[in-house]
Amino acid sequence: MGRVNGRGLWTLYMKEVRRFLNVFTQTILAPMVTTLLFLAIFTLALGGGGRQVGGVDFAVFLAPGLIMMSMVQNSFANTSSSLVIAKVQGNIVDILMPPLSASELTLGIAGGGVTRGLLVGLAVGLGMWLFVPMQIHAPLFVLYHAVMASLMLALLGMIGGIWSEKFDHIAAVTNFVITPFSFLSGTFYSIERLPPVWQTVAHFNPFFYMIDGFRYGFIGHADGSLVAGLIVMALFNLFLWTVTHRMFATGYRLKP
Amino acid sequence: MSEGTPASRRGAAKALLSFRAWQPPTFRHFNKRGFWALYFHRGVWRFYRFGLELLVGPLVSSLLFVMVFVVAQSERAAMVPGVDLIQFITPGIILYAVAHTAFENAAAMLVFEKMEGMIADVQMAPLSPLELLAGYALSSATCGLSVGLLVGGAAAIFVDFSYFDATLVFGFAVATALLFGLLGTVVGLWAERWDHYSAVEGFFVVPLGLLSGTFFSVERLPEALKEWIYFNPVFYAIDGFRAGLIGYAESSLTVGLTLLTALIVALALLGWRLFAIGYKIKP
Repeated sequence: MGRVNGRGLWTLYMKEVRRFLNVFTQTILAPMVTTLLFLAIFTLALGGGGRQVGGVDFAVFLAPGLIMMSMVQNSFANTSSSLVIAKVQGNIVDILMPPLSASELTLGIAGGGVTRGLLVGLAVGLGMWLFVPMQIHAPLFVLYHAVMASLMLALLGMIGGIWSEKFDHIAAVTNFVITPFSFLSGTFYSIERLPPVWQTVAHFNPFFYMIDGFRYGFIGHADGSLVAGLIVMALFNLFLWTVTHRMFATGYRLKP
Repeated sequence: MSEGTPASRRGAAKALLSFRAWQPPTFRHFNKRGFWALYFHRGVWRFYRFGLELLVGPLVSSLLFVMVFVVAQSERAAMVPGVDLIQFITPGIILYAVAHTAFENAAAMLVFEKMEGMIADVQMAPLSPLELLAGYALSSATCGLSVGLLVGGAAAIFVDFSYFDATLVFGFAVATALLFGLLGTVVGLWAERWDHYSAVEGFFVVPLGLLSGTFFSVERLPEALKEWIYFNPVFYAIDGFRAGLIGYAESSLTVGLTLLTALIVALALLGWRLFAIGYKIKP
């Protein structure tokens, strides 16, 4: 590994960040409003009668899950749409031509996705804090899982974006993989409510660990093992990083 | 798309209200073939070609909503005495899919054509303003209803809709699809960029769809909001549709249908006038 092209990396990262900040109503405020609406409807529909989940009020239980859901959906959307649009419009050469190595490309684009994920998470969190009495129990868990989850979905978005040849392909990945996983991995309910078979399945699902660990940071109660969550997230991200790096290095579906 | 000078904007406002422009359309010369091309080939068929994304996507997200409610519901609290929670929310989810698709289709189609400069192709064709409006609004309504049929059909496998009143169900579904198809057409004409469109979608259509009694009974609302929801036309649409599926209504169906019809007529008139003066589509 030679010298890092710091300026090129920064330029790529800022290009990714400006791309979504330019339309921040669409990329930050709209997800925030939608997530607050989810909070309102789920609390109204399911939280009646002082219902408690995991030892806290239903709304307090729900809020971290919803923050996580909006973060992962947005970091995935950022990197995947950036790559698919660049490929369809043909301006992908603009990021392949400059003297940027595969690691720098991975880091720059993933960094943009992580930044969007964290900004959306912050916006949603602040919005919810107005309505829900949230407390931070373990700030390091919150930070670790927020960054790791955004990174994981940013990398998945890059893999999906590189693999897709048309908008249909990436829409299919979003609809059939990302949305179901972010909905069904314990965002809205404690995993104890699932049938035993599905509880076992959940323990192999990284989405479950990131929601569970993130929620632990707020309410101090977790369904799964915390240590396992930390390790699973780190290893899975390492694996995804390697895959993405290989894709850029070999030019899979990027170079003719 | 330029912003338009104040003078040209005044001109547009004047043309919108001008008496001479309010001539009734001449039905004798209705360009059937042109309408069909715009309605079916450009509108509906385009939608089905992207079926995986546009038809199956809403189906999956609607079913996910139902699934989440099935797992997360609390055994103690029924939404309304005697009505199962899942039975209560499913009609709302179906109608939300109808409304959202109908809006999205018309608006996205128009914004896309404007951004790409393809809108000229539609304007060059010998289509009157009324035919243009009908082409866009009806094709979007058809797409919305297709999604509704798909989601409703899938939901009917799991949820008990044995109280089924076809008149109410189809009446309210068609009214909602038309209302949002027309709204999408008007918003599509108004929007100049993608983020204008997504602002209306994110800050108006989605909140309207989700907060109009889709997921909760009026009884659950805080006192302050209880009276206000009766001014919300989408609330009546969802309530009427639900009444047709499970036979439980919280508002008057006559008031609902009248309100929806009045809104449809008003939006149709507005959309027709906007096409007639070429609002934001003619230089």
